[in-house]
Amino acid sequence: MRFLPLVLKHLRRNWIRSLSTILAMALCIFLFCTLQTFLLAVNRSLRSANAARLITRHAVSLVFNLPLAYRDRVAAVPGVKRVAMTNWFGGARRAGDFSEFFPNLAVEAEPYLEMYPELILTPEDRRAFLEDPRGCIVGEDTAARFGWKVGDTFQLESFIPPYRVGRPFEFAIRAIYTTDEARFPGSDRTAMYFHHKYLYETTARRVGVGTYVTEISDPNQAGSVSKAIDALFANSDSETHTETEQAFRASFVSMAGNLALLLNTIGLAVTFTILLVTANTMSMAIRERRTEMGVLKTLGFTSGQVMGLVLTEAAALGLLGGGLGLLFSQVLIGALPKAPFIGPFVRGLAGFGLTPLLAVSGMGLALLIALAAGLVPALLAYRARITNLLRQV
Amino acid sequence: MSMVEVSQVRKIYQRDSQTITVLDGIDLKVPEGEFLALMGPSGSGKTTLLNLVAGIDRPTSGTVRVAGTDLSQLSENALARWRSRSVGFIFQFYNLIPVLTALENVELPLLLERLGRGQRRERALTALKIVGLADRAAHYPRQLSGGQEQRVAIARAFVSDPKVLVADEPTGDLDARSAEEILGLMETLNREFKKTIVMVTHDPRAASRAHVQRHLDKGVLTVGA
Repeated sequence: MRFLPLVLKHLRRNWIRSLSTILAMALCIFLFCTLQTFLLAVNRSLRSANAARLITRHAVSLVFNLPLAYRDRVAAVPGVKRVAMTNWFGGARRAGDFSEFFPNLAVEAEPYLEMYPELILTPEDRRAFLEDPRGCIVGEDTAARFGWKVGDTFQLESFIPPYRVGRPFEFAIRAIYTTDEARFPGSDRTAMYFHHKYLYETTARRVGVGTYVTEISDPNQAGSVSKAIDALFANSDSETHTETEQAFRASFVSMAGNLALLLNTIGLAVTFTILLVTANTMSMAIRERRTEMGVLKTLGFTSGQVMGLVLTEAAALGLLGGGLGLLFSQVLIGALPKAPFIGPFVRGLAGFGLTPLLAVSGMGLALLIALAAGLVPALLAYRARITNLLRQV
Repeated sequence: MSMVEVSQVRKIYQRDSQTITVLDGIDLKVPEGEFLALMGPSGSGKTTLLNLVAGIDRPTSGTVRVAGTDLSQLSENALARWRSRSVGFIFQFYNLIPVLTALENVELPLLLERLGRGQRRERALTALKIVGLADRAAHYPRQLSGGQEQRVAIARAFVSDPKVLVADEPTGDLDARSAEEILGLMETLNREFKKTIVMVTHDPRAASRAHVQRHLDKGVLTVGA
């Protein structure tokens, strides 16, 4: 600590160079934390998928609905325990305004709630929801966001043409569901669910089914059951594609595997570049202070202490840059859910936010890069003989 | 009692295939409280001998004993600790740290001692008072004249109360008036603070302020005038 003022004064010596290094480091940590936050949220979303649940959609695209008649045929496939119809509603409180977006789905409530134990409701709330055709349940995060409570009403209007009926859909909140992070990590606390029947009847029975969610008796039979379901509708007008919920979500987030690889590659390239930049800065800083290193050693500083000063200087650069990067990342992560285009997608990712562990990892990475960059100059300062250092005058 | 005792010291540098003998069997004794001037032409080995006395270089053979310590017996770390306690070095070009104020520069050696911040500041300020620069404590080296910088450097050299001061051409970069001030200051340190001083100089006028002059020529010590 006694030497810290000395280190900080040296950082101010060439403040443009120090600042540019700090900003470079900040960029590195900003990218690391932001990209990893995104990937973590995607992975959490995938992890929350249940292996015993299958999703059946139109083989061509999610855009096309499946006939309601498929429901009973799917339910009759051996190994299928129960089936629920679901439609992504895509509703917003004000038509076309997604600044307050939250995921909302029309579901066949009774089997759906059976299949999703992660949506925790009291028996009374559950009954109230099932008995009210216009009732809905809302995740606790969304309820808190809008200050909603049980009994409140609100309206949503979908951007999906078949679901647009010339007026908004009206809903009454019959329950606010909670989740159990310990039992079901990554569960979404932002979604809203309402009755599929309400959607079906309000649209004059024109809409079909976006996806069928199927619960199977044995998760190990997921492959064969999926094939059996798709075989039922082969060569029909509406062929199906059935996959596990996890695979469905992965494809839904633009092939998360490749995304992770891409983001990690970008992060690695940036990190390596920053390492070189910081190493160059440290080398220059030390080279121009060779005489001062000699003076310090002449005054009685040991080689280890001089090396420690160089490493501390590098660490200070790293920590300042890391801190700034974390701040930038936190600001962006806070702003992303409100951003146009990407905002709705980000809000759909449960638990999207900079975690303390990731923040600590970011600072650790900053420190590691800085120390790695400072190591060679520090070793040179450690090994240099005083007479050689002073000869540079 | 000798404060500095150099016995049969040889210093040989190997440069490519060439062997250069810089010091060749030097014997030197500097009694406690002495003010010694080492003179000689460039390349005669004055600075090398000074570096050996200050413990910042090691001889190829022979022994250097300063204040009763055989420097060849000390490890690198022990030698560094010894330097911080026992010797103060005054450079020709002052070598102050530009990002530190005069007070902070003087305080620098005290960072190695077990002193509180207040004690360090007090001792550094006292040293600056002795060299007559207490009013410049908050000034940075770039805000000081060459003579003032050298006075700060001298304060830094004696702030930890070493027994020996070594000075390498301390007036070599100064005008005549500043040089006089510096020499006067060194005389004061020798006379009133009982510091043993070994000074390398080219300048006969500077050397004349010392009690004893010794000449080095081609690595061999001769008795001066």
